[in-house]
Amino acid sequence: MSDDPFEAIKVTFFQECEELLGDLETNLLALESGDTDIETINACFRAVHSVKGGAGAFGLEDLVRFAHVFETLMDELRSGRKPVDDITVRTLLRASDVLNDHVSAARGAGPAVDAERSQALIAELETLTHGAPVSAAPGAGTASAGEDDFGFTPLTLALDDLGGGELPPLDLPPLAFIAPYAPANQEQTGWKIVFRPHPRLYANANETGLLIRELGRLGPVTVEMDDSGVPLLDALEPNDSHLVWTMTLDAAVPEIDVRDVFDFVETDCDLNITPIMSGAAEVLPDLGLPDIGLPELGVSDLADPLELPAADASAGEVDIAALVALAQADTAARLNGEAPPLEVVSPAPQPQAAPVAARTPPAAAASQGAATQAPVTIRVDLERVDRLINAVGELVIQQAMLAQRVYESGLARSSDISLGLEDLELLTREIQDSVMAIRAQPVKSVFQRMPRLVREVADMTGKRVKLITAGEDTEVDKTVVERLAEPITHMLRNAIDHGLETPQEREAAGKPAEGTVKLAALHRSGRIVIEISDDGKGINRQRVRAIAEERGLITPEQVLTDDEVDNLIFLPGFSTAKEITDVSGRGVGMDVVRRSIQSLGGRISISSNPGKGSTFSMSLPLTLAVLDGMVVGAADQTLVAPLAAIVESLTPKPEDIHLVGGVDPVLMFRDEFVPLIDVARSMGFRDVPTELRGGVVMIVETEAGQRAGLLVDAIHGQRQVVIKSLETNYRHVEGVAAATILGDGRVALILDIDALVTTGRRRNSTRSDLKMAS
Amino acid sequence: MTQVTPNVAGTDRELIAFRIGEQEFCVDIMSVREIRGWTPATPLPRSPAYMKGVINLRGTVLPIIDLGARFGLQTGEPTERHVIMVAHVGSRLVGLLVDAVSDIVQLTDASIQPTPDVASESVKAFVKGIFAVEGGRMISLIDLEHVLPAEAEAEAA
Repeated sequence: MSDDPFEAIKVTFFQECEELLGDLETNLLALESGDTDIETINACFRAVHSVKGGAGAFGLEDLVRFAHVFETLMDELRSGRKPVDDITVRTLLRASDVLNDHVSAARGAGPAVDAERSQALIAELETLTHGAPVSAAPGAGTASAGEDDFGFTPLTLALDDLGGGELPPLDLPPLAFIAPYAPANQEQTGWKIVFRPHPRLYANANETGLLIRELGRLGPVTVEMDDSGVPLLDALEPNDSHLVWTMTLDAAVPEIDVRDVFDFVETDCDLNITPIMSGAAEVLPDLGLPDIGLPELGVSDLADPLELPAADASAGEVDIAALVALAQADTAARLNGEAPPLEVVSPAPQPQAAPVAARTPPAAAASQGAATQAPVTIRVDLERVDRLINAVGELVIQQAMLAQRVYESGLARSSDISLGLEDLELLTREIQDSVMAIRAQPVKSVFQRMPRLVREVADMTGKRVKLITAGEDTEVDKTVVERLAEPITHMLRNAIDHGLETPQEREAAGKPAEGTVKLAALHRSGRIVIEISDDGKGINRQRVRAIAEERGLITPEQVLTDDEVDNLIFLPGFSTAKEITDVSGRGVGMDVVRRSIQSLGGRISISSNPGKGSTFSMSLPLTLAVLDGMVVGAADQTLVAPLAAIVESLTPKPEDIHLVGGVDPVLMFRDEFVPLIDVARSMGFRDVPTELRGGVVMIVETEAGQRAGLLVDAIHGQRQVVIKSLETNYRHVEGVAAATILGDGRVALILDIDALVTTGRRRNSTRSDLKMAS
Repeated sequence: MTQVTPNVAGTDRELIAFRIGEQEFCVDIMSVREIRGWTPATPLPRSPAYMKGVINLRGTVLPIIDLGARFGLQTGEPTERHVIMVAHVGSRLVGLLVDAVSDIVQLTDASIQPTPDVASESVKAFVKGIFAVEGGRMISLIDLEHVLPAEAEAEAA
């Protein structure tokens, strides 16, 4: 992170944009599915508004302009002036995509926004808002079109000055309060705002004075303060709020602009905004109010500063420098704090503190969290968590080593040391679980990106698609979450491009024109399962077979079950698209998807029902840091087999073992012959074959569903092991997935079951080839 | 401790010298992180003979290279008297199995002579140059960049 506080805040702003945009999308989708609850609409509004607010502070004009139009329409919706209908929601969804693009572009993480697309959407949004596009000048992305209805004047940050004591004069005209102002509207001349702050408003570092000043930018303001609620000194609770402010704004600005001023405090106060009609002008008796200069703002309105609650008193003493500082801190707070669940809420931010370190609590965060008391959370650098996880991994190993040493020293099981060690083991395990839980994240962050993808792919292919997601809250390790996006993206594309039919085809087949793609996540036996199903045409097995034969992947004589045919699409060099489409035929096939999933220790399969659709399902470990393994012995080595791959273990009966062609052993397992792989020999630990009859066999299943028997000397037991990469300091070794450190402090290799089984097969086949040749 | 006779005034490098059989080699001391005794390694399948396997270095999986075997010299099974020099090779950390660490020497680059043609090809591939120290000893300066097996080599082995 940069040392420049401004840059640091910007980074935070973009992080929060990401979350806000995610929320926006979620809520828009809720709207789309018919949830027109006012809270949902408000949430959308707030998200856009917060993005706009932050963007304004950084002078990101394009982003602000777009967000503003977006926000205006949202405001129409939330005020109920405009009904929430399908067209609007769909436009909003597309607008949220463009908003996303704007944010990426501003961040420098994405290409420049397609100005035409952006302008077109602005026009669409405006048409929905006003019945006709307001902004002229299409094509001119930075044109001043619509500037006039820009009720938004961002306070630009000047953080360089935050650290020092001396602050430059505020670049605001204090005269704005008394500047003559010509009402533009004959009917409505202004707004009357009754504002009763709650104590929490002050706790969240907001100031009535600042709000009044903000309001003063919209036009001349008259402020009346009602201190009748202030109790006598002996009854005074200094942290309470007793004052009621009545502000009269003599300007016929749009209501949204007025609400904007109070947006961040909305839930921390009683707010009553009523329009003043021209006939009611007498409520503005003293337009030329002489003394409301900014510095005296608080003081002149306060009857007696001594009687003020403590929180208010600070407002009474502010000088201009402090006001600037507060305003900056407040803006910084807004930038920092829009995302509710990830902030440490500290009660009183210090304006002088470095903004990022201070993590100033935002009013809006509190207001968003107010409805559903969000749990208090903190943001932590991932690296720190990783360090902790590594250290705990070492702790687990050390604990196991210690236990083994004590055991070897011959101490009785009931000795104090042994009992203490058992407690230590429990504790260690608990720490490990808790630490792993820190990294666990809901798959939501990945799922949220998918509706956009689906919309785009649907547009490109001319298909109509509805995406249903389920199980977004399913948690997996962060590293897994991050690496889910690519395979899911690919499979979704595939499902829409290849799985779903065109609306005409669908109707002809008696299905609804709109296809459905379902994306679901669930936990199943210690793994996460992601299912992507469509109600399309299913896999055309004849075609798959024909292609596989044509590419030489199978021979025409080979008899395959339906399932086996379906799974041919995962073979390298297989792509069913007749021509390479823009959507899914980008040179990567399902084999790449399968490989990337396998590299995560996962497996993928497909089941298809002709005419009804297909379901891809992939299962992945919940974490890449630990693995449930079976510790086995082969030759004099200790190895770990991933438990997930093991179907069963058994002691083979001599009569169940047969030699195919007199050489290759196979094992009769449940009426099925499975190849028997001698692990010690396959790994090169032993030259002579393992005594078949003395060993133990683990029946394993590969990702592709092939079964094989792994012959080992002994099974030592089941254990959770910490995965250590071999690649860090060495390189990939065939047949080895990774390494781990066992209780005796030695390194044990984790078997790569798939590689073992395929090499075993390959070896068998080369050998039989040789025999045939001789 | 023997002193190198520098050809040019001033010292440029500090090197750590070690023995393999009768020969002496050295590497830049900055690339060596620690020196520890031999502990049995876990063998890796399908690896070249000079890959002794991996050991646990306080939680790090450390590959062990038998330097002598890597140079094509005759080596026996490692004993407790052998040592492992833990060294940085590029971004990796590897353990180099040698007979013993013998010396720390200082010399300038100018005193290094090119490897004479008499050396065997396998040694020459890893030796950047040789130099003489007092007592008529000759030390070869090792280039660690190539001690790890190349991709193709490891696959073939």
